[in-house]
Amino acid sequence: MNRRTGRVGLVGMLLLSAGVVRAQDARQIITEAQKRTDAKSQRYEGLLQVFDAKGKISDKRWSFERLGSHGQSKAVLRFTAPAEVKGVALLIVNHPDRASDQWMWTPAIERDRRIALQDRSTRFFGTDFSFEDLEERDVDQYDYTLAGDDSIDGAACWKIQSTPKQSKSSQYTKAFVWVRKDTYAFARIENYVKDQAVRRLNYSDIQNVQGIWTARQMEMTDLRRNSRTRLTLDKLEYNVPLKEDDFTLLAIRRP
Amino acid sequence: MTTKATSTKATKTQNTRRQYWFCAFRVFVCFVVWPTVAWGQSLTQRGFLEGTLVGYPQEAPNDPTQVVDDFLAREEVFASPTPWLRLAGGLDARANSHDQVEDSWAVDFTDRTIRRPRFSIRRAAATLTHGPFTLDAGKQFIRWGRADVVTPTDRFAPRDFLNVFDNELLGVTGVRGTVETGAGTLEAVWTRFTPSRVPLVDQRWTVLPPDVPPPPGPLPRVYPDSPQVGIRWNHTGAGVDWSASYFDGNNYLPNIDATGLSFPPMHMAGGDVALPTAWLTIKGEAAYFASSSTTTDEYVLYVIQLERQTGEWVFVGGYAGEAVTNLRSTTPVTFAPDRGMTRSFVGRAAYTIDVNRSFALEAAVRTSGDGEYVKAEYSRAYGQHWRATVSAVGIGGHSDDFLGQYHRNSHATASLRYSF
Repeated sequence: MNRRTGRVGLVGMLLLSAGVVRAQDARQIITEAQKRTDAKSQRYEGLLQVFDAKGKISDKRWSFERLGSHGQSKAVLRFTAPAEVKGVALLIVNHPDRASDQWMWTPAIERDRRIALQDRSTRFFGTDFSFEDLEERDVDQYDYTLAGDDSIDGAACWKIQSTPKQSKSSQYTKAFVWVRKDTYAFARIENYVKDQAVRRLNYSDIQNVQGIWTARQMEMTDLRRNSRTRLTLDKLEYNVPLKEDDFTLLAIRRP
Repeated sequence: MTTKATSTKATKTQNTRRQYWFCAFRVFVCFVVWPTVAWGQSLTQRGFLEGTLVGYPQEAPNDPTQVVDDFLAREEVFASPTPWLRLAGGLDARANSHDQVEDSWAVDFTDRTIRRPRFSIRRAAATLTHGPFTLDAGKQFIRWGRADVVTPTDRFAPRDFLNVFDNELLGVTGVRGTVETGAGTLEAVWTRFTPSRVPLVDQRWTVLPPDVPPPPGPLPRVYPDSPQVGIRWNHTGAGVDWSASYFDGNNYLPNIDATGLSFPPMHMAGGDVALPTAWLTIKGEAAYFASSSTTTDEYVLYVIQLERQTGEWVFVGGYAGEAVTNLRSTTPVTFAPDRGMTRSFVGRAAYTIDVNRSFALEAAVRTSGDGEYVKAEYSRAYGQHWRATVSAVGIGGHSDDFLGQYHRNSHATASLRYSF
């Protein structure tokens, strides 16, 4: 009895420690991936192309500026085209321990509006990105498990399951993240609600920009609607001089 | 002889006005466009051309016109000659088939005309920033409050109410200073008085009681000379946004009596709050209004509003209430859309069909059952520049109710906008 219990305990401990190691490996991989994208700031001009099942239906352009990295960052996203949404701006204040705060400025009514947590699952301006998808993921807001090896576009990847911690309010129950083994760059994120995959983000055209491996093209597919939105990054720069004063509610009102 | 002298004087005035605007244009070019281009700083613009057709199935007792065409062209330019200075300018040009636009070709700055000006400066302001300090000077838009149904604390936001339910914000001329701290902003405002534009007496959006004879023409207006001042603390935080505000000036909505329109002194103390919870965002806004005018009511306006987004739907619903603390007004004719929309349940549901198409339904129902309003709107964008919108508005109720009095003004609207 004692020998049997001891054997079960030993197997259990081995399994548990293997799980801990795998979780530890997964966390280390994500931590390393995050570390490699650390930058004081980032700026780009984005082209959003929305496609439905029949083809392209809309183009939108925005300028994006971010000060800080990951859980300690602030970002301003400002639409520049089409003309009817020019000046619409989104302020995102990311936090290391909880979901971001977001406010949107709409020049047509000269007012700002907080995007409440329960509203983050809504599509951003009819695109396939939700407001939550615009947040920066911080390594400490999720638990990780290594789900195996895989390849995306011929590149060897780690496949890692991430589950949001309780403090991270999320529309998604879990996500699978593919991290390239050669560059530690993200290759794909597949988001789930319960056991159903709902959104898939593919990273492509990965280039080394100022020492940071960055996807110049991201394509989000809404698997339930069968529509997709492609975001292409132009004029991408890291570590540009940006001022803290330009990342406030007052600042996003200025065109 | 007198006519000739008057004509010569008018021509001189016109020439002087032209010279003034030519000079202003040169100043704009010298100080805004040239430095911006020369120093490679940012210069942005946005604008649109919009044609709107409104059809009313019923004639009104004072207005048999059932179809109205309206045209609006708007151009706004923003420049940053230096990192600490931003300049904004905007011009509107209008035309209307139902005499809702002034005949004068002069460019209007004050927004005090009875009809909409043919040409008007929509905004002309400079913004100076230095660290946490921001100063906005000139003609600009200042919005206070968080509620959408009725915004009692929004005291620097007069509107054009020529068509009561399709109203539009008017800019105010003045200075706004803002200090930003980590937790929020402190705002101090000083402006010249700008009235809301009220419906024209000979058109359907003016509804007079049966025993009040229609005036032969526009009633005289007396505009206050005193400045409008206000101060507001606005807190934005992780869990809750709120503000407290105080206003001392004049109501931008008039008291109306036989002698004309007057804009009574007003003191307002109020606040607003937005509390996001796991299921809903709760918004509240309330203000107490007092006046030194002995013929003006003192009252409290308040709004409770709930918001929820789910999938592609956005739902907003709430109750707007009023409590009169000192009933002093005796006039049978009033025009107060802010108070008129209270004692009502108001709701809006909007659905985003896809990136180009949306649908919205909004309604207001008086708790007394004396007035109701419902609007359905469908909007679709075509390509990068065009948007078509169609809407239908139904209004019903009793003639002695603010909403119900417009029961002959149910209408359908079609508009086409080209943005550039």
